[in-house]
Amino acid sequence: MGRSPLLLSVPVAVGYVPLGAVFGFLFVQAGGAWWLAIASSVLIYAGASQFMMIPMLTAGLPIGSIALATLVVNLRHVFYGLSLLHLVPKNGLAKFYLIFGLTDETYSLLTTLPAETTPMQRVWLTLINQMWWVSGTALGAVLGSQVQTQLAGLDFALVALFAVLVVEQWRARSSAKPLWVALLSYPVAWLIWPAHALLAAIGMSVVAAIWLDWITHGR
Amino acid sequence: MGDSTYVILTIVAMGAVTFAIRALPFMTGRWLQRHPQVQRLGRFLPLSIMVLLTLHSLRDIAGSWAGQLWPEVLALTLVIGLQWWRRHALLSIAVGTLLYLWLRNGF
Repeated sequence: MGRSPLLLSVPVAVGYVPLGAVFGFLFVQAGGAWWLAIASSVLIYAGASQFMMIPMLTAGLPIGSIALATLVVNLRHVFYGLSLLHLVPKNGLAKFYLIFGLTDETYSLLTTLPAETTPMQRVWLTLINQMWWVSGTALGAVLGSQVQTQLAGLDFALVALFAVLVVEQWRARSSAKPLWVALLSYPVAWLIWPAHALLAAIGMSVVAAIWLDWITHGR
Repeated sequence: MGDSTYVILTIVAMGAVTFAIRALPFMTGRWLQRHPQVQRLGRFLPLSIMVLLTLHSLRDIAGSWAGQLWPEVLALTLVIGLQWWRRHALLSIAVGTLLYLWLRNGF
């Protein structure tokens, strides 16, 4: 590998530092402690589900429900590992960390590295990427606890982030069905179980996905 | 947001679930390759979940304003349009949020 891991991680830093800062800021503004925002980025390290946890914690949802939603949101990560099976270091701790740090961005970076890249260089790159995410979070959390915002509606950033992820998932779609399933299940869930509409809607979407898969592909 | 113990336990649970998902193929790669229905669900669900999260957080934020919802609709349309056109996540989030703040606070 001709270039250092630090240089290779610059494109990830450009995305991770500001987005991590938005997470830290919103987490603290929602009433969370700054050190818990940082702990989330150190221990969970998964962008979309960290943003998702903010409204869920504010609503006081049961931990089991939040864990279930995390499972569903991060399910796509199962398929990352499949294409990296042969690239992972043998060493216990290094292997553990590389698997832990397999976010969308790190995955795409790892798959584009030249074949002669050593396993330890891959681990360094993964570590530097998480450093950017944690630094961004710390920055946002400190800002969020200093600034007393008079601005109402700053939490629209969360809606905007999810909408951005919708557009990107839509680009990668194999059909429009997931969109229709979600657009139908949310109002139904809201009608029958307003206090837990999100969870009910996720449950309905999972059932609908299994059923649609069953009628198109059979068992 | 509840007491620290609740938040810490949630963080630990979410971290464990996320790690388990990322580690699964390294333990059961062959099993997954033999079960295409699991792979198809993995392709289907993320779009549904993101739409649900958008709707839910939109409902949360709109619920704090009585009456008309056109600022939400306008800002959301701008975010989706910008992301579709420029494909720059930070730009879409920043511009959409600024428009929303402007519409709601009118400075």
